[in-house]
Parts: sequence; C-alpha cells; structure tokens
Amino acid sequence: MTATTRRRQVPEPRPMATAPSTGMAETAPPSVVLNGLGMSFSGKHVLRDVDMEVRPGQFVALVGPSGAGKSTLLRLINGSHRPTQGSVSVLGVNPAMCSRKDLQLLRTRVGFVFQQFGLVGRLSALENVLMGALGSLKLPRYGISTYPIALRERAVANLERVGLLDERFQRCDTLSGGQQQRVAIARTLMQEAEIVLADEPVASLDPSASLSVLRTLKKLSAEDGFTVVCSLHQVDLALQISDRVVAVRGGSLIMDTPTAEASEEAIRAIYQQAKDDRS
Amino acid sequence: MNSTLQDRRSAREGTRPSPMPAPVARWPRASAATLGIPLAYLAVTAFGTWWIDIRPEALAAGFGDIARLLERMVPPTTGPLPDLLALALETLWIAIAGTGLATLASVFLAAAASRRYTGPRAIQWLARTIIIVTRAVPSLIFAILFVRIFGLGPLAGGLAIAFHSVGMIGKMMADVFEEQDPAPREAIAAVGASRTQNFVSTTLTRALPALASLVLYRLDINIRASAVLGLVGAGGIGVALQTAIGSLNYQRAAGIIAVIVAMLLVLELVSYLVQRAVAEHAGEHTQSQLFRAGRQPASPGWDRARITRTAGAVAAVALFLYSLGQLALNPARLGQAWDNALALLSGFVPPVFTADVALGIFESVIMALTATSFGVAAGLVIAVLSTGHLVRFEPLAVGLRGIVVVLRGIPDIIYALVFVAALGLGPFAGFLALSLSCTALASKFFTDSLQNVDPAPLRALEATGANRLQVFVSGVWPQFVPSFIGNSLFTSDLALRESAVLGIVGAGGIGFLLDESVATLHYQQTAGILIGLIVVVVALESVARWARRKVI
Ligand SMILES: Nc1ncnc2c1ncn2[C@@H]1O[C@H](COP(=O)(O)OP(=O)(O)OP(=O)(O)O)[C@@H](O)[C@H]1O
Ligand SMILES: [Mg+2]
Repeated sequence: MTATTRRRQVPEPRPMATAPSTGMAETAPPSVVLNGLGMSFSGKHVLRDVDMEVRPGQFVALVGPSGAGKSTLLRLINGSHRPTQGSVSVLGVNPAMCSRKDLQLLRTRVGFVFQQFGLVGRLSALENVLMGALGSLKLPRYGISTYPIALRERAVANLERVGLLDERFQRCDTLSGGQQQRVAIARTLMQEAEIVLADEPVASLDPSASLSVLRTLKKLSAEDGFTVVCSLHQVDLALQISDRVVAVRGGSLIMDTPTAEASEEAIRAIYQQAKDDRS
Repeated sequence: MNSTLQDRRSAREGTRPSPMPAPVARWPRASAATLGIPLAYLAVTAFGTWWIDIRPEALAAGFGDIARLLERMVPPTTGPLPDLLALALETLWIAIAGTGLATLASVFLAAAASRRYTGPRAIQWLARTIIIVTRAVPSLIFAILFVRIFGLGPLAGGLAIAFHSVGMIGKMMADVFEEQDPAPREAIAAVGASRTQNFVSTTLTRALPALASLVLYRLDINIRASAVLGLVGAGGIGVALQTAIGSLNYQRAAGIIAVIVAMLLVLELVSYLVQRAVAEHAGEHTQSQLFRAGRQPASPGWDRARITRTAGAVAAVALFLYSLGQLALNPARLGQAWDNALALLSGFVPPVFTADVALGIFESVIMALTATSFGVAAGLVIAVLSTGHLVRFEPLAVGLRGIVVVLRGIPDIIYALVFVAALGLGPFAGFLALSLSCTALASKFFTDSLQNVDPAPLRALEATGANRLQVFVSGVWPQFVPSFIGNSLFTSDLALRESAVLGIVGAGGIGFLLDESVATLHYQQTAGILIGLIVVVVALESVARWARRKVI
C-alpha cells in the first residue's frame, strides 16, 4: 500500500457541533501531517516511513501490539522526540524545528493524556485541573487561590463536564482510577487544545470505566471540535469510539481505514500475527 | 533523620522470618568488608589509645580532677537573669534565621543538584560541590570565618548555621526530588508550562511534607549548634559561657550550662510536638476532602484544618522574618564586610599545608574514631540494659534513658570546655568529651533499633525453651547487626565533624590551629586547613558509605 492510496482512504471530518476557537472550516488545514516519518533510537529503527494526515475534529484510534511504536509516534507529534527521518507538522508547526519557547507555545495547543494520569496526588482535583492552564500564565502558582478567578471558574466547569463537580476539593490520590483519568482530561480541557493526544488512557482502568472515560473524551471532542489521536489496546473499544482506525506494527502503518469499514477480525489478526512473529 | 531511615531499612531487613541464618550466611559473602572494617577500627582504636595516652590511671586521675572542678561549680549561679534570657532568645533567633535561610537556598541547590536537573552540567556540578563542601565544614568553623567578615554578633552566627545546614538539607531534598514519580512532571511539561512553573507545581508541592519534617529536624540540631556559637563570638548564650569560663567563674559557668541544657530540653520537646503535628497532618490518612465548599464553587471554603494550615504557615514565615531582623544586619557594616570577605578570600591563595596542619587533622581523626569505639561500646551496654531483652528491670531502664537524654542535651564542646578546665589542654579532654557524646548518641540509636526488633522470631525461640541469653544471641543480635553497624558509622561521621572544632577550646585536634590562623591573619594556612579537613571528612564519609553498603 503506498502513501497516496492510504491518504485517499482518510475519511472526511464530520461536521462539528461547535466551531472551534480558530474557526476551522471543512477545508481547514490538517491538524497533523506526518511525512516519511522515521525514528530510530541508537541505530534501532522504531518507526519507518510513516505518512499520515489527520483532519481537524477527527477521532483517530491508534492500535497495534506492544512495542509497535505507538507511544513513540505520539511523542513525535508532541515534540518530545525529534524524528531521525521525515517531518512532522502539527497545526502548521514543525515541533522539531522549534525553539524551546515556541515548543512550549505549541504544547499549550496540544493536550496529552497519559496512561499514568500524571496528577499530583496530595493536591485537590481542582488544583490539578488548574495546572492545565499554566501554559497561559507567566508565573509559577501554588494553591488554588493563586489562580485568577476566571480560570478557577473554567476549571470547575470542566470538572463538571467530566462529571466530578462534587469531587473538586478531594485529594486526587483518594479518587478511583477512572475519576483520576477524568481529572487529567479536565486538566487538558483547560488548555483549550486543538489536538488531544492520548497514550493508552484507559490501560489501567477496568472495562466499564474504560468505556465511560473514552465516551466522555469522545463527547468533549465533538462539543469542542478538537482532534483526538488515541492509542488503544482494546480493539472493541477502538471500534466503538473512533472515526478512523490506524494500525501500527513493527514501526510501519499497516492499516488505515474509517472505523465503519474496519473489520474486527482484520485488526485482531494484526495482534495475532505479532504474537506469531515473536514465537 | 539518617538514623531513622537506616533503622527503618534495617528493621525491614531484619523481619526475615528465619531467626538463625543471618550471621552464618553473611560472613563468607562480604568477608573483606565485614572483617576488614571492624579490624581496621580496632587497630585505629588501639593506636588512638596509645597516642592520646588513655590509661586507667590517667582516667582515674582525670575523674578526680573533674570531680574537684565540679565541686567548684556548686552552687551554680546565673548572673543577671534577664541578660541571660536575652542571650538565650538570641540563640533561638540565630537558629531559626539560619535554618530558614538554609531552607530557601537549599531548594534551589537541590533542584540543580538532583539527577533530574536538565540545565547546564556546570551548574549541577557547582551545586553538588557546594552541598559536599558545606556539609563537611562544621558550623563553628564557618562562625570563625564569618566573625572575621561581619564582626562579632549574631549575624555571623546565623550565616554560619545557614551555610552548614544548606548542604545537609540540600542533599536530602535532592534525594526526595529524585525519588519522585516522573509522571506528573511530564504531564505538566506537556501542557506547555515553563520549567519553573513545573518545578513549583509538581516537584516542590510533592516534596513539601518531607521538606517540613526535614526543616524541623534540622532546626532541632541548629538550636543545639547555636548555643555554642558564642564561644567564637558569633552571638547567643555561648557568649555568656565564654565570659564566665574566661574569668574562671565556674559557678556562673555551671549555671549557664544548666540554663542551656534546660533550654535545649524544652525546645526539643516543643520541636517533637510540632514535628508530630506536622507528620500527622501530612500523613497518608488525612481526610480526603481537602477543603470545604466555599460560597462560590470555584473558591474553597474555610474550615478548621485550613485555618490551622494557613495560620501555621503564616506564623512560620513571620517567625523567620522576625529572627532575620534580630540578626542585627547593619547596612553600614555590610560595606566593610565585603572588603573583609575579599581580604579573606584573596588571603586564601595559595593555600599552605604544613606538617602541623597534617598532624592536627590526623589528631582530630584519631580522637573521633577512638571516641566512637568507646562510645559505641558504652552505648551498646546502655542500650541492652535499657531495652529489656536481657535484663528486665524497669527502674534501671528508665534511669538510664533519663541520663542519656540529659547527656545528649549538652553539646560536645561544652564537655570539652569543662574537661579542659579540669584536666588541662590536649586531646585527652577532647577524647573524653567526644566519648560522652558518642555514648549518648549511640545508646539512643541502639535503643531505638533494639526496640524495633521483630518479636516473632524471638517468641518462636522462646517456645523452643531457649533462655534469655540464647534468645538474644540467636534472635535479637542477627536482626540488630545491620543497624548497629550503620549507626556506628554514622556516629563516627558526626564525631569527626565535632572533633575538628574541639581544638577551639584547647581540647586537641585541628580546631586550635584553625582558630589561631584566622586570629593571626594567616589565611593561607586557614585555606590549607579547610581543604585538608574537607578532603578528609569527604573521604571518610565515602568509606563509611561504602562500608555500610557492603555490610548491610
Ligand atoms: N527512549 C527510547 N530509547 C530507546 N528505545 C526506545 C525509546 N522509546 C521507545 N523505544 C523502543 O521503541 C519501540 C517502540 O516503543 P513504544 O513505546 O513506542 O511502543 P508502544 O507501541 O507504545 O508499545 P506499548 O503498547 O507497549 O506501549 C520499543 O522497542 C522500545 O523499546
Ligand atoms: Mg506505549
């Protein structure tokens, strides 16, 4: 499969419920463009010749066996790694060519949700959510009251949107895993990001919490119109939630189809084959 | 802090279910270290006993002299009490101001020294050097230098306390930072926060409970240290003691020592209560709801916990600022201080080492190690007698523990002062002083870890019909050995730092030459002494760390 045919399969973005702040239209430039992207760590190839284009507002599920390079791909998009080949363009910016300041600026526009949540356990949910707005502030902050009231109100509203209004003053390490991931998502909402990258956001949650967290993410993305690229291990969840499924194996894209056309068997076969390869 | 961490670790390691195998399994595995270190220690002790000339007759004669001096100390008097109380308060301000300054500085130092630091290598290297050097130089030595720069008074004292503590607090903070889970830091970097914002929001906030208990623990040590800074003119109650001893007014000296000990014991109690309150507050099991709902959903409300928290923080800051004000910072004098500092620093080059310097440092090391051996032996006896594993006689245990508390309340250099007055100048007085403080320290450590021995294997042994001695040898001792060795090495670490300053009051070692070189403006020699001392302290500390790793 060549890069061109793959790109032709990219589904059109759905009409958006609300226009995002940048006022993107259907013809808006793509959120993410990967061009001949390659990555190797000390000579070992982890990603090879990846071409991909993500339209604004799309919810992309990234699937593939362990070690396929999903996390690496997401880190390349967010500028945590520099590609060794090809180029990345995020919201029209190449993170690899950015100065540190510009990268910081770009990161305020790109949210990242981690498998391990990355919350400060001894602080309240509200304060953790407020930290998502640090990129728009100059000085360091400590304590809820040091954030401007407008931000605090937005933070409470975002906690309400993920269903945690009553837990806003609770210590984060006393919340359940699903609740913690919701706090992390609310924190990302504070950035008013145009893209949200999620690296196995539900891998440490039980199945029902997983589905409900992903549904929340999907709902928010539809409401605010942000793009989501989300790596997932659970094929069924990927098929339920996403608009488009991209499969990675051994560092190459081996499948890229609209979710409606994807077959569960084909994806499972990818995992199975990886197992066979190993044994 | 060191000791408690060790104790916790050794207690954990000691809880392996089988009571017997430890000594059998351990000896062949780490024989070089486990045999070499005690043998080396015994050799040094034997040599030290000869060098310092510790003979039973000398000891007996010494005790006679000390008894005669103590007789001249009764009844103790204090002189004008308000003056003495003012000096006691000044001691407290010096300790608080110094600890606060050290805390502020050590946050930056720890951030730069930690393995997580991503900035320039040179800055990290500099921060690590500052931590190592300031830890190796005792506060009394800093005080001598700062008195030369800032003149007599509490400013020199506060800075001396700050400089010596910054290394220890910085080191422990850096450890705390390094042990943190990197996930929150990465998450906040991904929202586009600056490095400073990220440090405050994720690293510092998470370290705060550890920092609070660390600072309180250090404050405890610093109050003890500031009580004697007056001996070199750096303010506090030690000034009165110095005057009394200088004018051979032993009754007043005894009264002042009594006031110092009472003050230290009271403050230790206060600090224990504060530490417990802080620890309870920071504990994992505090309520999950951090704030009450306020009037608006975005503003937390006030409840008792939040009021206490805020009031505590405000009081701590106010106390720190007030004590800073009490350091008698005089802008006019600062200009002169700059010139003095330049003169001192430029006088340092090139450093000069002489045979006398080497001999002085050598004597300090010998005094410290020999006293550690005696102190560890005596401390072990006291600890065994007061923990009831071998002897169960409650009044004896309570009495011994009371004596240890009082012994620990008196700073080493005060013992040295008294012993020099009774026995004359020389390392014998220093050795006796160090032995007393090592005994007190070691018996405290040993008692704590003997009490934390896992009782399950002991019960099992008792059930087989073993007598108390057998239970002790086979059940208690193997569990106790790792912490015994760790704490002994830690004691020798502390003793070395102390023995370097005892010479200031004439009790042997390098302190005398150091004090004299500053007083006579032989700064090149001062620099030589400082460098030699730092090298020796750091080297012995590394050996101790290596040994602890090998043996435990
Ligand atoms: N910083 C790094 N240095 C060296 N090798 C790395 C680094 N990061 C990732 N790799 C390697 O790259 C390969 C892909 O890793 P990656 O984490 O992207 O896989 P993944 O698809 O996210 O796997 P998983 O599903 O287990 O999270 C692995 O072989 C991994 O060992
Ligand atoms: Mg991964």
